[in-house]
Amino acid sequence: MKKGAQPIKKRRGILGALALIAIAVGLYRGLAIAPPDAYQGQVQRIMYLHLPSILTAYLSYFLVFIGSGMYLWKREKRDDILAHSAAELGVLFTALTIIEGSIWGRPTWGVWWTWDARLTLTAILLLIYIGYLMLRSLIEDENRAASAAAVLGIIGFLDIPLIHMSVYWWRTLHQPPSILQPNKAPWENVHPSMLIALTISFVGFLLLYFYLLSLRYRFGEMRCEIKARRLARGG
Amino acid sequence: MGAWGFVGLAYGIVWGIILLYLISLKRRYNSAQAELDVLSSVEATDRDVKK
Repeated sequence: MKKGAQPIKKRRGILGALALIAIAVGLYRGLAIAPPDAYQGQVQRIMYLHLPSILTAYLSYFLVFIGSGMYLWKREKRDDILAHSAAELGVLFTALTIIEGSIWGRPTWGVWWTWDARLTLTAILLLIYIGYLMLRSLIEDENRAASAAAVLGIIGFLDIPLIHMSVYWWRTLHQPPSILQPNKAPWENVHPSMLIALTISFVGFLLLYFYLLSLRYRFGEMRCEIKARRLARGG
Repeated sequence: MGAWGFVGLAYGIVWGIILLYLISLKRRYNSAQAELDVLSSVEATDRDVKK
């Protein structure tokens, strides 16, 4: 086992336990304590999943952007492993966001899906990073695959400001931000109990994300190590 | 389906998918770890033979 692997494993375990606690508290606050929305009723409780999921996905793509940029600059394998790991998790959280949004859309808009600007741009974001993962498996030369994926990882990130601004630039069915508004503090826009549930849920998602990222990153490191050691043995 | 039905569906699908991903990641992780352990023992045997 790699030197220092045990303390990292222990820290990862603590992170996982904290994530579990925060998720449980977030579920309790979101489903039992927070009041229903005045207009949407109980179905608005999907927000406690929907918002943390997309913010976690954005964070993940930001890490892909950083990892990809650093890899193109320094050519260090660890940056590529970070970008690859974060892209996989970004795809997971974006897919979850789209599923939650679709389930939320059915009772509020009357449709599971509509070609609204924000929804379409989010679907494009998902496709870009699915393409990123496919690209890596399609190109045999590992360094070439990492470089091509890094370029796509950086370009794909440009979709995120478009997604954010889409509700201002186009007439969309998707509502503009109701919590983070430019001229008002978040607690002026929503019931404090809703804000607490949302914050705890977001913390739970973040802790879960870093737990998964740490596991996925170590897996990437191990795969590289296996390849290098096999190569050294002539296999 | 009622409002709580949609809420239950969303929460069920999301946590179900996350759990499946976690299980698949743990499996991949454990199999890589096992492969590294095998490589280490093979390398150790090779070293002993060379001595």
